Amino acid sequence: MVKKISAIVLAGALTLSLAACGSGNKEATGTNGDASKASGQKQVIKILHWKQENINKAMKEINEAFEAKYPEYKIEYTTTGPDDEYKQAQRARLTANDVDILADLSGMRLSPQEWTPGAKVPDWEQWINSGLIADLSDQAFVSKWNANDIEKAGTYKGKVYAIPTGKVAMSGLFYNKEIFEEHGLEVPKTWSEFIQLNETLKSKGITPIGVAGKDVWPLKLPVFALQAKILGGGNQQKWIEGVWKGETAFNDAEAVEVLEKMKTLQDNYMIEGFMGIDYASAPAIFATGKVAMLADGSWDAPTIAMANPDLKFGYFPVPATEDAAKNASFVGKYDVTWYVAEKGPNKEGALKWLEFFSEPENYTTFVKAAGFIPTMDGISTDSDFIDNELTPYLGDFELAYEIMMINRENVGEHLAAEGVHTEYLAPGGEFKTAKELADVQQKEWEAAAPK
Amino acid sequence: MYPFGKGMARYVPLLLLLIPFALYVVFYFGPSVMTVIYSFTDVKNLPGSTMKFVGLENYHDLFYSGNSGERWRSITNTLIFMFIVTIVQNGVALFVAVLLNQRLRGDYFYRAVFFLPVVLGVAVVALIWGMMFDPMSGPVNMLYDWLFGYKDMFFASFTHAFGYIIFVQIWMYMGYSMLIFLAGLQSVPKDLYEAGYIDGTSKWQSFRHITFPLIAPSFTVNMLLSIIGAMSTFDIILATTDGRFNTRTMAYDVYKETFRGSLDMGLPSALSVVQFLIILVFVVVAVRQTRKREVEY
Repeated sequence: MVKKISAIVLAGALTLSLAACGSGNKEATGTNGDASKASGQKQVIKILHWKQENINKAMKEINEAFEAKYPEYKIEYTTTGPDDEYKQAQRARLTANDVDILADLSGMRLSPQEWTPGAKVPDWEQWINSGLIADLSDQAFVSKWNANDIEKAGTYKGKVYAIPTGKVAMSGLFYNKEIFEEHGLEVPKTWSEFIQLNETLKSKGITPIGVAGKDVWPLKLPVFALQAKILGGGNQQKWIEGVWKGETAFNDAEAVEVLEKMKTLQDNYMIEGFMGIDYASAPAIFATGKVAMLADGSWDAPTIAMANPDLKFGYFPVPATEDAAKNASFVGKYDVTWYVAEKGPNKEGALKWLEFFSEPENYTTFVKAAGFIPTMDGISTDSDFIDNELTPYLGDFELAYEIMMINRENVGEHLAAEGVHTEYLAPGGEFKTAKELADVQQKEWEAAAPK
Repeated sequence: MYPFGKGMARYVPLLLLLIPFALYVVFYFGPSVMTVIYSFTDVKNLPGSTMKFVGLENYHDLFYSGNSGERWRSITNTLIFMFIVTIVQNGVALFVAVLLNQRLRGDYFYRAVFFLPVVLGVAVVALIWGMMFDPMSGPVNMLYDWLFGYKDMFFASFTHAFGYIIFVQIWMYMGYSMLIFLAGLQSVPKDLYEAGYIDGTSKWQSFRHITFPLIAPSFTVNMLLSIIGAMSTFDIILATTDGRFNTRTMAYDVYKETFRGSLDMGLPSALSVVQFLIILVFVVVAVRQTRKREVEY
C-alpha cells in the first residue's frame, strides 16, 4: 500500500512540473542599467529588431555612421528571429526596461473603439497606457516625416509615439514579363479579364499562379485585394464597423463573394500542391519560370531579383471587381515602426539616434535596402521596381484588412489573426463551399461576443 | 560506510539536500502555485499590473467562447496522441528490445541506430522529416507515387498532418523506451529461463510468465514517461506544422496562449491547470494499473 501511495505521489510530482511551464514571470525584473553612467564612459543605446538580412545590413551602416558622429554613444543592435520569437523578446525586454529603441511590425494597428466592446487591446496600446513608450510629439524630427503616415501609423490619442519607416504593398501579383510578352498577354484590369488571362495561360500549359500555402498567411495576400474592393462596396472600414454593430456579417453576400473568388483561384489556377509550398521557396518557383504569377508582398522583390537576376518581372494589383478604376490601387501596410522606450536605460540617446535616422540621407540608406515605399517626402529610392511597378498604383493606397480589422478576443481559428483563412476551403480543407466556411465564421464571431 | 556518520557531520547531507530543496521550492513549486493562483485572476504581463480575482471566469472563457471548439479538439487530439504514442511506441520498443536481447552480432550497432533519433533533437528531426515529407520533391511522395500513384500533402494536410506528427514522435522516442526495456530484460536472471527450460515451457510461455512479469517495472516507467511525454509535447508540433492543419494539442495551446497570445496571464494559467489535471488523472490510472503487474523475485 505504501508503495502504491508513493508511486502516486511520485507521479503527481512528475506531472506538477508541467503546470509550471505555463506560468511566465509577471514581475518585471526592474533593474535600471544606469548605474554604469560614469563620466567618460560610452553610453549604450540598445536597439531591438528582428532578423531581416537586407535591413540589418543597412542598420549596421547607419549605426556606424551614428557612432562616428557621436563618439560618446555606443549602439548595441540586437536582432532575434522574426514573428513570435521577436514578439517574446519585445515583451520581455520592454517590461524589463532593457531596451531603448524597438521595432514593431505594421505600425500601430487600430485599437478598440467605442463601437468595439470587448475588443482585444493590442500590446502597443497597453504599453503606452502603462507609460512604457515615449511620447515623441515635441521632437523636431517628427516633422520630417510625411504627416499623413505619422497620423495613420504613429499617433495615438493625438500624440505621436512611433515612426513608421515605410509602406509595403501586399495585394499584388508578381508577373513574369517574358511569359506575358511571349503569349501577347496584358496586365488584367478587371476580374473577368483576370480569369480570361488565367484560362489562356492554362490552355498554353503554363501554371498561372504560385503561392506559399503551407505558411497559410501568404494565402491572405490576394484576399486583401478582394476584401478592400468588395467589402462595403469598396469601403472596408464601413463593413468592419458593420460587423461589430451587427449590420454586416461574415456570411453576407459581399463576404461570400470574397471567399468565392479566392476559391475560384485556389481551385483552378494555383500551382498544384500549393498547400505544401513554404514561403522561403516561393520566390524561386516564380523566378525559375514555373509559374507566370506569384502572390506575394512587394517586399519580396529583392529576393526574387536575387533568385534570378535576369528575370524581368512586374507587379500589379489583383483586380477584384469589374470596375477597372476601383481595382487600380494597392492594399498594404506599414512595415518597421520605431518606438522609443520611456523607461529604457538611455532615452536621451535613443531620441538622438532617431533624430539621426530621420535625416534624409540616413533614411535613404535604410529605405533603399528595405525596398519599402518611403514615408518621408522627396526621397529617391533609385528603384525601378518602386518607381515603375508600385508608384502608378499608390494613389488610393489603403490599409489591408488585417490592419483595419479589430478582432474580438478569443475568436475562433477561422477568423483568428485578422484573416479569413481560405485554407479551410476544399480540397485542402473541410469546407466544400465558400458559404459553409462563411457561416462558420459568423458563428464563431457571434460566439466570441462579450456576454 | 557512512562518511557523515559522526557528530555534527551527520547533518551535512541534510544541509546539502537543503540547497536543491530550496531551489526546487523557489523555481518550481512557487511558480506552480502561482500558476494556479493566476488562473483565477485577470493579471497581465505588464509591470505594475493589478491583480483582481475573477473567480472561474478564465475557466469559463476556455470552454465557452468563440474558439472553444478548438479547445475541445486540442483535448481530443492530445488524448489520441497520447494513446497511439504510448501503445505503439512501447509495443515497437519492446519488440525491438527483445530482438536486441538475443545476443545478435552487431547488437551494439543496432542499439546506437535505434537510439540515435533521441539524441538528434527536435529541430533536426523536424528538418529531416520535413525534407522526407516534402510534397513537391520529397522521397516519400516519390515512393507513394511510384507504388500507389498517390500523392500526399503531409504536414500541410488537414486530415493527415497529425498522423505524420505522431509517426515522427514515435520514431524519435522509440529508442528511449527500447533502452529502458533492454535494461529491464538484461536484469532478468538467466537461471529462471533455465528452470523454465527444464519444466518444458515454450518460448511464448517463458516470455509471458517469466520475462513479462519481471520487466513490469520497466513497463511502469515507460508507460509513465510516454504518457507524460506525449501529453506535454508541443515542440515537434511547433517545428513541423506550428499548430496549423488541425494539429494542436493542449500543450501547444498553453505555449501559444502564454507566449504568443495576449498579455493576459489568467487564461494560459487556467489552461495549464486544466492540462495538469488531465495528465494527473491518466498518470494515476496508468500507475495503478501497471503497478499491479509488478512482482518481486
